[in-house]
Amino acid sequence: MKLHRIELTVNGELDRVDVPAQMTLLDMLREKLMLTGTKNGCAAGECGACTVLMNGEPVNSCLVLAVECDGSEIVTVEGLAHDGQLDPIQRAIVEAGGVQCGFCTPGILITSRALLDRNPEPTDSEIQEALVGNLCRCTGYQRIIDGVLEAAELEKELAHV
Amino acid sequence: MFNGQIKTDIPTPIGESKTRLDAHEKVTGAAVFADDMQFGNGLLHARILRSPYPHARIVSIDISQAKQLPGVKAVVTGEDFPGFLGLYLLDRHIFCRDRVRYVGDPVAGVAAIDESIAEKALELIKVEYEVLEPVTDPEFGTGPEAPLIHPDLDQYKVANFILPQPGTNISNYFKIRKGDVDSAWEKCAAIIQRKYRIPHIQHVPIEPHVAIAQVEESGKVTLWGTSQSPFAQRNLIAQALGVTQSDMRVIAPYIGGGFGSKAGVSMESLAAAIATKVKGRPVKLLLTREEEFYTAFVRQGLVAHFKMGCDEDGNLLAMENKFYWDGGAYTEYGVNITRASGYSSSGPYEVPNVKTDSYCVYTNHPVGGPMRGFGMPEMHAGLEQCIDELAHQIGMDPVEFRAINCLKDDSILVTGSKMHPTGLSQCLEKTAKAIGWGTKANPSAPNKRRGKGIALMWKAPAMPPNAGSSAWVELAEDGQVTVGLGGQDLGQGAFTVGAQMAAAALGVPYEWVHVATPIDTRYSPYEWQTVASRLTWSMGNAIVSAARDARRQILEMMAEAWEEDEDNLDILNGMVVSYKSEKEMPLKDIVIYGVPKPDDQGWIGGPVIGRGKFMPDYVTGLDPETGQGERAVVHYTTGAQAVELEVDLDTGQIDIIKGAAAFDVGRAINPDMVIAQIEGGFVQGMSSALFEQLKYEDGYLQNPSFVDYRIATSSDIPEGIQSFIVEVPQDDGPWGARGIGEHSMVPTIPAIANAIYDAIGVRFEGPPFTSEKVYLGMLEAGIVK
Amino acid sequence: MINALPKLPEFEYIKPENISKATQFLSTHAGEARPFLGGTDLFVQMRDRAKEAKFLVDIKGLDGMNDVRFDPVRGLTVGAAVNMNQVIASPEVQDNYPLLAEAARSVASYQLRTRATIIGNICNASPAGDTIGACLLLDGELNVHGVNGPRQEPLKDFFSGPGDTKLKHGDIVTSIRFPIPPEGLKGTYIKLGRNRLSDLAIVGVTVIGFPSANLPSGYIFRLALASVAPVPLVVDRVESILGSEVITGERLAAAAQAAMDACTPIDDVRASAQYRKLMVRNLSLRALTEIWNKVKDD
Repeated sequence: MKLHRIELTVNGELDRVDVPAQMTLLDMLREKLMLTGTKNGCAAGECGACTVLMNGEPVNSCLVLAVECDGSEIVTVEGLAHDGQLDPIQRAIVEAGGVQCGFCTPGILITSRALLDRNPEPTDSEIQEALVGNLCRCTGYQRIIDGVLEAAELEKELAHV
Repeated sequence: MFNGQIKTDIPTPIGESKTRLDAHEKVTGAAVFADDMQFGNGLLHARILRSPYPHARIVSIDISQAKQLPGVKAVVTGEDFPGFLGLYLLDRHIFCRDRVRYVGDPVAGVAAIDESIAEKALELIKVEYEVLEPVTDPEFGTGPEAPLIHPDLDQYKVANFILPQPGTNISNYFKIRKGDVDSAWEKCAAIIQRKYRIPHIQHVPIEPHVAIAQVEESGKVTLWGTSQSPFAQRNLIAQALGVTQSDMRVIAPYIGGGFGSKAGVSMESLAAAIATKVKGRPVKLLLTREEEFYTAFVRQGLVAHFKMGCDEDGNLLAMENKFYWDGGAYTEYGVNITRASGYSSSGPYEVPNVKTDSYCVYTNHPVGGPMRGFGMPEMHAGLEQCIDELAHQIGMDPVEFRAINCLKDDSILVTGSKMHPTGLSQCLEKTAKAIGWGTKANPSAPNKRRGKGIALMWKAPAMPPNAGSSAWVELAEDGQVTVGLGGQDLGQGAFTVGAQMAAAALGVPYEWVHVATPIDTRYSPYEWQTVASRLTWSMGNAIVSAARDARRQILEMMAEAWEEDEDNLDILNGMVVSYKSEKEMPLKDIVIYGVPKPDDQGWIGGPVIGRGKFMPDYVTGLDPETGQGERAVVHYTTGAQAVELEVDLDTGQIDIIKGAAAFDVGRAINPDMVIAQIEGGFVQGMSSALFEQLKYEDGYLQNPSFVDYRIATSSDIPEGIQSFIVEVPQDDGPWGARGIGEHSMVPTIPAIANAIYDAIGVRFEGPPFTSEKVYLGMLEAGIVK
Repeated sequence: MINALPKLPEFEYIKPENISKATQFLSTHAGEARPFLGGTDLFVQMRDRAKEAKFLVDIKGLDGMNDVRFDPVRGLTVGAAVNMNQVIASPEVQDNYPLLAEAARSVASYQLRTRATIIGNICNASPAGDTIGACLLLDGELNVHGVNGPRQEPLKDFFSGPGDTKLKHGDIVTSIRFPIPPEGLKGTYIKLGRNRLSDLAIVGVTVIGFPSANLPSGYIFRLALASVAPVPLVVDRVESILGSEVITGERLAAAAQAAMDACTPIDDVRASAQYRKLMVRNLSLRALTEIWNKVKDD
């Protein structure tokens, strides 16, 4: 089996990995880079548990080949906190009670982070639309949406400081 | 006075919405779930060969070629494992031995150095089947023409409260004979008779099942996995493998959603069994999402016949029920759903005459296992619609009808037992008010119809009469506390609530309490299972008992050291205090090393370790002919749910506009988490009402993926759900608490069905109320063209 | 029977340097090699064992595939590798072809659309493809590079069955071009799914309307249907019904009925043929009425 050598940035760190062609970005993150925060829920792009940022945009990492990521910038849930400080979206989702079993949470945080980056003051329905590719079976979604709204508020306050 | 605080000043965490203690781990990706665990290069991967037929005899299996594939370390079949497996009825083998009973039934297993080699090995296994006629309907399954799926039913070991009918496909038959139903009908001013068919659905936790097992040369087994029930898994798998329980260890990390799918034993036994053939190496089995849909537990299907009648004043007089539970291929766990629905078959109402026949029927569908509600959602789906219809028939408002008949303190129950104090009436009142019962808003557009519906529910923890909990409490040099417990946090917050209770019972701040996780049967104390919404109540009692034991040891020690009466001492905020002498000493100074006697004359006390247990001692049996008994269950949680919705006349789509719900939880230890359960259960219930169905055709699943098994997304939720906590204390609950985890999903289907009826005057044989079903229903009723 | 593999099967990843080499590789390895863009359909199909490939050829980086270009004469050209979120966000698309953005926005989820492409949607040729109706009605034309060099394929006769198109081994679609739309064009895509958002189309109706002085009614209306025929279906009768006489509520209803009569849905696990037909009628009426109200007010 031929291996492809790729170089990419993951959570701000440069990495070099040898991957077979059929290895997904998800499996590479979990098995080669030991970043197990990103989860495998369906391997078919339906549940969103595998969502990571690729060059700033959320993707289902179960449907991206690792070999396609040569030269890319990847951000996973492990890369959201900075210098030991939780990202506002992480803090807000906890405060809003939007975390129960926690399995969908990494994907939710990534998708929400990207939403706030492109739309700092989203409405309820914009948040619903943005999160439609992240399935949650525990919370009923409302508290997750509340968390995103709260994070937007937090960031607004931080921007004025 | 201590630091200016008096006792009543110091907040107890009971009733506080504390932040969950696993929050940080879960939002940083640090929380370890079973598939995240690392086992090194020696890890082997397992894949399972599964039956392609719903019912067949295994004629022969040839594994010789598979064994020779390089990289394959073991190939096993049912021949290797004669042991039986089961919780209430031992009707299952780990791998099929002589026949297969559902599409997906495990026939052989392979362990190899990687998944793709294991998958290739499966293709080399040759199985010859003799296809048998399948049973796909539970009513048909009880009849004489149905082939017997378990001809040896009479030989299976079974719990004494389960009543299989040998020579049939009925693995449990529960009866209620209360009063005299036959003569009661004549006294009824209105009678409703209906049949409801509730399809199979599934739990669909976002985390698929995974199990890793390792067996040593000595025969000792270690099992890691997605588990709501580490102790039950230890017990059942050890028995099936012929290992003594103490030689088996189960370790259960965080679970990515359970809802019952990870309770009891399912795929874990496969990993353990395969591991016995590769001594010393861990073997991992991870189900694909497709395998989840095909082979994980399903919720039993139900064909329910209801007949109920009331007098002209709206008093319920009689109910006659026949429940045919589609239990699937193995009903080792599901038999208890038959019983639970039987002893709950009146719904949360006082009915003087009840006749119920509840059958658990084998079919060639996948295994009907425990799913949130354990028979209650399926039963209430039809029952609460009949209640509405009965009310309408005598011209009474459905809320008023329910208010008259719903259980009150001391009502006589369907089993003849007495109802404990309950806030059901309050739940009904609050919910009806919140949804604006009695008023009707205008539809939002000319092509919409608006409706409101309400439903009540009740549920008791369904479990053996002697399901127990235990706990330990120990402290460290910093005075902080670790609680040992055996229940699992599925997301519902069991660890957090456990910590709150330990903190309150011991006298330390909540922030000082840690929980010893992951649950590990080697170190964690025994807990029956994390099911039945029993942990806050049962495990809570054990934790309180352990914390009080630790507290007693501490106060005893200090009473001796200070030469004071224990009654004058207390622990407040981590400080031992004397109300009499005003002496104080922080816990950290005493809980490991004890306290010195004066004048260097020795030591008092030592390491503090508290222990506690709880097991109810008052549940009685029920008469097998009548289902009557002194006390059928430990208690009931009751509640109400209402919805307001719109039906789109052009498409049949249902839009849930708002929801309201109230549950009597006795005491909300963490109110925010209780409300989170109320909301989450509403949405899962709504999802089961509008979208979900496992579509079987002759035993073959047609929609084994997220593409065609739809669940609620963020876009489907109502504008708001108003949630109310009612607190009528449970006499033996910690601070009066009882459970909530399942109950919030129970009344949703009938609340929505009743609202649909209010909107368009149409009812359906069962959920899901898909837009197609609703539209074609309206077409048939002449409402649309 | 459970067919899906736990992981993608083994294959070789080819990243050609230029389009000629890509075409050459694909034709030389006909039957063994597949081109891919986002892979969102292909990878799922491969894990399901519905499609096989020894070589996957990544054509995303090639010249001309990554741009959105608008020209007031030639119209809009969308490179094959432009993902759907980029199409939705493009000012050129929003200003001049809002229907295309609306259709793309209905697909799946945001994270899937980061990888999914319009060209992928077209080449996958599912009759349920959400963007195909808009592409057909906006007279989209594919730029294809094959063994004989570049050529154009109008979308009109491009689809021959579920998953089947006019493309031959070695063909690579490099972009799609939409001519400048007629003055005053309004369009809408109504998608009926089982969830509010994110599902496949159980029925999809795309409608455009614009003034046309030559016609008795003064307007041209065109309608395309998703998920109710072996291919994405343009219902020509709609255009003639709404072109030949003054438009009234009855004419709109007749056009909706014609759409219902033209489609040939099947019963499948998602919906019945009966329901689909009725929804074609109801949603066509809804879409036609919406567009009629917009164009007549202009």
